[in-house]
Amino acid sequence: MTEEIQYIGEHLIFGKVGYFVILLGFVSALFSCISYFFATNKEGTSEFQSWKRLGRIGFTLHGVSIYTTIFLTFYIMIQKYYEYSYVFEHVSDDLPFKYIFSAFWEGQEGSFMLWMFWHIFLGAIILIKGGKWEAPVLSVLMAIEVFINSMILGIHIGTYKIGANPLALFRDTAAIPLFNNEDYITQLAQFADGLNPLLQNYWMTIHPPTLFLGFASTAIPFAFAIAGLWRKDHKASLRPMLRWGLFSGAILGTGILMGGAWAYEALSFGGYWAWDPVENTSLVPWLLVVAGIHTNLIAKATGYSIKSTYLFYILTFIMILYSTTLTRSGVLGDTSVHAFTEMGLENQLLLFIIFFTLLSIVFMVTGGKSVPAPEKEETIFSKEFWMFMGSMVLLFSGILITFTTSIPVYNKIAEVFGYDLGLTTPLEPIEHYNKYQVWIAIFIGLFSAFSQFLRYREFNWKGHSKKFAIHAAISMLIAGILTYVTALWINVGIWQYYLMLFFAMFTIIANIDMITFFGKVKGMNISSFTAHAGFGIMIIGIMASGLNKQYISTNPFAQRGLIPEDMINQNVILFESDPMFINGYQVTYEGDSIVDNTRYFKVNYQRIDKMGNRYESFDLYPNALYNAKFTKVASFNPSTQHYLDRDIFSHIAGLPPGEADIEDAKAKEDSLKYYSYSSLLNTPIEILDTVRVTEFGFDTTVVKKFLVSIEGINKSPVHHEYKPEMGDLALGLKLKVDYPADSTSYTAEPVIVLRGSLLFNYAAQINDLALKFKLNEKTLDAIFIPEAELAYQTMDLKVGDEFNFNGYKINFSNFEKDPVHSGYVKEEGDIAVAAVLNVNDTEGNNYSAQPIYLIRGNRPFVLKDEVSEVGLHFQFVKIDPATGTVTLNIAQHTQQSAIPFLMAANSYRDDYIVLEAIVFPGINFFWLGTIMMMAGLFIGMFRSIRDKVT
Amino acid sequence: MKKFHIIGIVMILVAIAALFMASEDIATYSTFAEAVKVNGKIKVAGQLVMEKEMYYDPEKDPNYFTFHIKDMEGTEKKVILYGSKPQDFEMSEQIVLTGKMSGDDFVATDMLTKCPSKYKEEEMFLKESEI
Repeated sequence: MTEEIQYIGEHLIFGKVGYFVILLGFVSALFSCISYFFATNKEGTSEFQSWKRLGRIGFTLHGVSIYTTIFLTFYIMIQKYYEYSYVFEHVSDDLPFKYIFSAFWEGQEGSFMLWMFWHIFLGAIILIKGGKWEAPVLSVLMAIEVFINSMILGIHIGTYKIGANPLALFRDTAAIPLFNNEDYITQLAQFADGLNPLLQNYWMTIHPPTLFLGFASTAIPFAFAIAGLWRKDHKASLRPMLRWGLFSGAILGTGILMGGAWAYEALSFGGYWAWDPVENTSLVPWLLVVAGIHTNLIAKATGYSIKSTYLFYILTFIMILYSTTLTRSGVLGDTSVHAFTEMGLENQLLLFIIFFTLLSIVFMVTGGKSVPAPEKEETIFSKEFWMFMGSMVLLFSGILITFTTSIPVYNKIAEVFGYDLGLTTPLEPIEHYNKYQVWIAIFIGLFSAFSQFLRYREFNWKGHSKKFAIHAAISMLIAGILTYVTALWINVGIWQYYLMLFFAMFTIIANIDMITFFGKVKGMNISSFTAHAGFGIMIIGIMASGLNKQYISTNPFAQRGLIPEDMINQNVILFESDPMFINGYQVTYEGDSIVDNTRYFKVNYQRIDKMGNRYESFDLYPNALYNAKFTKVASFNPSTQHYLDRDIFSHIAGLPPGEADIEDAKAKEDSLKYYSYSSLLNTPIEILDTVRVTEFGFDTTVVKKFLVSIEGINKSPVHHEYKPEMGDLALGLKLKVDYPADSTSYTAEPVIVLRGSLLFNYAAQINDLALKFKLNEKTLDAIFIPEAELAYQTMDLKVGDEFNFNGYKINFSNFEKDPVHSGYVKEEGDIAVAAVLNVNDTEGNNYSAQPIYLIRGNRPFVLKDEVSEVGLHFQFVKIDPATGTVTLNIAQHTQQSAIPFLMAANSYRDDYIVLEAIVFPGINFFWLGTIMMMAGLFIGMFRSIRDKVT
Repeated sequence: MKKFHIIGIVMILVAIAALFMASEDIATYSTFAEAVKVNGKIKVAGQLVMEKEMYYDPEKDPNYFTFHIKDMEGTEKKVILYGSKPQDFEMSEQIVLTGKMSGDDFVATDMLTKCPSKYKEEEMFLKESEI
């Protein structure tokens, strides 16, 4: 008997429309792909126009469908319809609106939609501007869209699921008991995952769209390459391919760099590049597209390397698919720290890459024969030769990186055949990659320098060779000098690095020479200069910041003989307000503050010269981001001091256990043994604590003696965790603790608050003595006497009246219309007045009390005040507005019984941070160099768009 | 033969040599039993032994953390990491360590922990809570 449950409050229309448009998007992409296919094949016939029209209709339908899907997904996320699983997984009630975009592309479905979004956008440009290329290019692009769209289909064929629908209902994707409730939606919000706190960052808003535009852009030169082979119009395909190749290189490169900047600026990775598989697989397509741009330039200038150009653009796209497969299939789980979670799309992804690999092979084989062959052998003293070599070096680099990154893939393949290889990434991955890539950098430096002095299709080498030799020799000389100077600044290390540094310098100088003396400041020269000089500068930046990064946070005193040589202490412990001298810096943890869910730790850095003068001082605020419920640290985020020549990067490597996780805090608190003590005011009691000492080979006990006295009772106490509310009964004990062994003295003020029927306890800690104090209800009972037990005397007074009470001289000085009272929080419409009373005792002490008479909502309230030092209680019970006479109740109660409190010894310190601080010298060379490379690509792109002639 | 072809062949040879050399760096997962025999760095994958003591007291030394790992063969060893204790360490499903044996302890120079995703945790919670 299965009865259909009628759920309450669901918004089913979005899912239904979504399901339809996703399917429509898929079908129309397929339709458009086929129509454009026939249009291409029927080019020049009468059928061409009608096929093209159909292709355009399909494209438009597909675009509208996907954009509608994206809109719907956004809508349900903004509205927080948790009945949809994508909303449940990526949004929560406390997620700020500004992170909705980030939440949208946090999941695989969202990022597939983002990818398609850009394909459609770029496709529309081709549709309008593509001319004769429209049909073949869009046919290929729509074929790609068919595959990506299938990833979000979410339809079942038998038991096999195709794609994951972002608009699927939660109750359709999971079977949990909650769905037996007809009003389950009301309970879902509390469990919603929200956006991973690590990703709640503005970088997450800009990095993925840029990277995915980069990913999407590689499809265009790819589609042009296929189109060129298809239409066998090789000469004409070069121009649009070059533009789009440059566009792709610039955007993809920028996207990758943003990832690096994110990792460096906002995550605690301690660097901008870690050779992580996810990083590597996006770098490889970039290397290939840059190789393609170079062969494309050669092809445009000389007619050589057209086939290589096709091949590079095809490989670029295939590697994008490979990257997608690797990062989204869960294969990298063991080797990467930031891959997507597995979603069961492996087979679809595999099919995606296999289809386009086979398609490319078919077109290369069939269309490749028609590519014009070079008529004449190239000379090695030509520009194109060295540019081509440079492209080959980039290909090498890509092959080597892919080879190591693919290790988990070898395991997977072996697994299919029943073997267990158990291979894993190199023991020293960074050294492994650097070892090979240093040679790549050396050759890129060499070739990008030499080729600047050479000419395309050199036919008069004899006439040119002298000029070449002079320019090359002078550039090398200057590069040599600069290398020497740089080696004085940074520690270069092994000879390979010297070579790399030299060639980086060489390419910078050669490129400056090229643009100022050798060549002309025009067109592609500007692009080439910017990009290649940028490359050289980037290499210098990498060497300075990567090879020469220096840990400030090593503590030379904590060195243990056991530490392996290749491990240095990376963290240092800092106690609050306790300066530490480390590696030339005086570092002080000065305190913390909380803004929203982030706790900022103020750390001051100072440098002091030999004369004792402070010549550098700055504050950094590394922080801990807590989860929404504030129970646990979600991530530690760095803070960096930027200088022109170096950065000082720091982040929290650890907090006292109780500060990072509320459960740890509870466990620690439970492990403490509190004992109850009591004493009269100002009467010290002696407390002994037996401590077991097992350090330095001893195992003995030490008895510590403390003198504790209650110095006062505070009825409007302050505690950093306590936020006073109206009606609170709060109590603080001012404690003084003497530790005669060190002749030190400390104070602490534990607080207890009675709010309604709930007790709140705020402990106080003396970190240096490892003592913790708490109060309990007995403390309250001992101090607060019920009002009924107070023998109030009633008195009528006017302003200026003075009287004697139990030996105290009390003066009613005036009214206060805007009273301040620990138990009073002002509200709109209150009529409150306080009687200001000055109390003088015989010893000449002055006290003041302000009992309040309050009318709130036509009801009178009496807020009593007291002078706790002498135990005087005042109530302001009545006022006669006509005469100005007030009625006061006065009573005295002196504290005579002992006041109980709780104390635990061996408490855990909570006043320190574990800090990691690193100096990155010359890191701005890295940013400058990489930005120049991207700028060079952009300049090239604009240049080639303007360039209508060639 | 064209100069181009010679250079092409040379490049292919260099590529093969480089790949061959690179493949030397590829590591395999070892066990503690192998680590005892090998006098050098290895990689061990295993699971955290929750019952055994985990020691990290930053007040004494912020760069000293010890715990116990059970490798794929079920051998348990104490692991010393000269660094701070990572966030959510207790929740890790699998731990991959790089390092070598020192006496009876394994000294790790690098550690990669694999944590279950947050989503799984919530899902488990929903399933168990039976609300």
